[in-house]
Amino acid sequence: MEDIKKAILDFAENSKKTKFYFSDMEKAVRKVIPDAKARAVKKAATELINEEKLIFFSTGSTSMYGLKGRGQTEDH
Amino acid sequence: MAFEPREPQKELKYDELRIYTDEELNNYTEEELKDFKIKHDIPDVEELEKGPWPSFVADAKREALHRRKLAEDRMLIERDVVEDLLGQLQVSFDDGETHWKHGGIVGVFGYGGGVIGRYSDLQEKFPSIAHFHTLRVNQPASKFYSTDYLRCICDLWEYRGSGLMNMHGSTGDIIFLGTFTEQLEPIFYELGHVLQQDLGGSGSNLRTPSCCIGRARCEWACFDTQDMCYELTHYYQDELHRPAFPYKFKFKFDGCPNCCVASIARADMSFIGTWRDEIRIDQEAVQAYINGEIQPNAGAHAGKDWGKFDIEKEVINLCPTQCMWMEDGKLMIDNKECTRCMHCINVMPRALRPGVDTGVSILFGAKAPILEGAQMSLLTVPFMKVEHPYDNVKELIEKVWDWWMEEGKNRERLGELIQRWGVPKFLEVIGLPPMPQMVKEPRSNPYIFWKEEDVPGGWKRTIEDYRKRHVR
Ligand code: HEM
Ligand code: HEM
Ligand code: SF4
Ligand code: SF4
Repeated sequence: MEDIKKAILDFAENSKKTKFYFSDMEKAVRKVIPDAKARAVKKAATELINEEKLIFFSTGSTSMYGLKGRGQTEDH
Repeated sequence: MAFEPREPQKELKYDELRIYTDEELNNYTEEELKDFKIKHDIPDVEELEKGPWPSFVADAKREALHRRKLAEDRMLIERDVVEDLLGQLQVSFDDGETHWKHGGIVGVFGYGGGVIGRYSDLQEKFPSIAHFHTLRVNQPASKFYSTDYLRCICDLWEYRGSGLMNMHGSTGDIIFLGTFTEQLEPIFYELGHVLQQDLGGSGSNLRTPSCCIGRARCEWACFDTQDMCYELTHYYQDELHRPAFPYKFKFKFDGCPNCCVASIARADMSFIGTWRDEIRIDQEAVQAYINGEIQPNAGAHAGKDWGKFDIEKEVINLCPTQCMWMEDGKLMIDNKECTRCMHCINVMPRALRPGVDTGVSILFGAKAPILEGAQMSLLTVPFMKVEHPYDNVKELIEKVWDWWMEEGKNRERLGELIQRWGVPKFLEVIGLPPMPQMVKEPRSNPYIFWKEEDVPGGWKRTIEDYRKRHVR
């Protein structure tokens, strides 16, 4: 779990875009940990949300993830 | 089966939880309403009041007047919110464009859905709607409420929001329209801890499941739509609140093919009650309909004189598969040809009833999105028995989700993925053989491609061998 969380944070810090889809995050994790299951990636992402390291971003119809403090952080 | 709540249910008492007095709730007269003008000039918006239907503009004006007359400290967001909302709508009519913008990050802690952030881009002109976030509140199965509950949520929303709500959105949820960011957590706390009420789904989540009134009132329900909706809502809480799908995903539950929640048109996975034995016929009641002793359609069309009921014209000739006939004064049905369309049952409910060996048909892929246009769901599982706790259904759901999460592109609905990969691939994923029921017109459209291992004896010819003799 900790290694998946680290892979997520590495991706979130270095990806070109400040907001990304779950599947892109999952693909990035798989590059580092090839056998990571979607459910495990989701659990790790949820922990990071609860630790306030990741944030959700939603337009209403679609949801994305982002690193807290990176890119648009104010709610305007 | 009697309803068994997952956790003990509190009995809400409005008198203990109320925020407003009766005087505050009834604080204006109809006379005052007639003379009431909101603070902006809204000629085009007011046009909407002139049509034949009740208008949201008229309702919004009532709420605007109500808020004008409440004391300043009795509302936690500005009183003008409704007036500014109508004012901004007029500006949108003038400019021919929206003045709302997304607010992607607002939400309640730990939830990736349930709150839809919106801001005005005319905040100086309309400060009270600078923020106008919407909350989706998960409706109870079949939308049964006590008046105490309804009054509690109305008070809560008047106090911490605009007071405007939809009962219900097309998603099924109760929609709270318009509040400021600071109010989101307090509202979530009050809903969750005091009113035992959760938020619904939005974004790339499982959306709030919804069901028809089912066995609570309808004798046609072929399965317990409320129980299944409640069970799957609880079982998939994580999917409902924490997004990991490529896009939205909806379950809807209809107890019979009348499809009162339109699952066939609106759900990625539609559950429609059906039966696999025979329509139950009460021949005496059939005669009573023929003799005019019972009104057809339970009297629903009694407002106009349609003449004497004619079973030939109104039932038998309208059967889409032509599987009914009269024989020696008795109504006959060739049940293996019946498609369970419900027409004959709807016309003569006292004579005809669904069979007793009931279950669900499961259909996949309905949507009304931008990419490929609207599409109905595809019949995939013609019949499945369903019993609490629905393990067979959950197994199927998870196979579908695993595939879609693996192969679906961002913002691709399940129906679009099925179109992109083809139905045979989808059937392979869920482990079902192709069946005539899956094809719209099986007699004229036999496009099911067989693999060698599916055909007894296989086949010996190869395309290479054929091409040697028939060059392209
Ligand atoms: C006694 C003579 C024939 C009989 C009884 C016969 C019968 C049929 C039948 C029952 C079908 C299937 C229709 C369907 O799709 O439901 C068919 C298709 C067809 N027949 Fe014939 N046929 C005869 C002669 C021929 C001849 C001489 C030709 C060509 C030179 C021909 C060309 C075709 C073609 C191209 C199709 C369509 C095949 C496809 O859809 O892939 N038939 N025929
Ligand atoms: C310029 C001439 C032709 C054109 C433009 C043409 C075009 C087509 C098209 C568009 C299809 C439908 C393919 C599909 O949707 O799967 C088709 C099917 C077919 N054509 Fe032609 N065709 C021509 C000539 C011919 C000739 C001369 C024959 C027979 C001698 C023929 C026999 C067939 C048959 C049997 C099919 C059915 C194939 C199947 O369904 O698998 N066609 N053709
Ligand atoms: S869908 Fe069928 S079972 Fe459900 S309420 Fe409508 S008629 Fe009754
Ligand atoms: S349910 Fe529909 S298809 Fe079946 S017998 Fe009645 S009218 Fe015909």
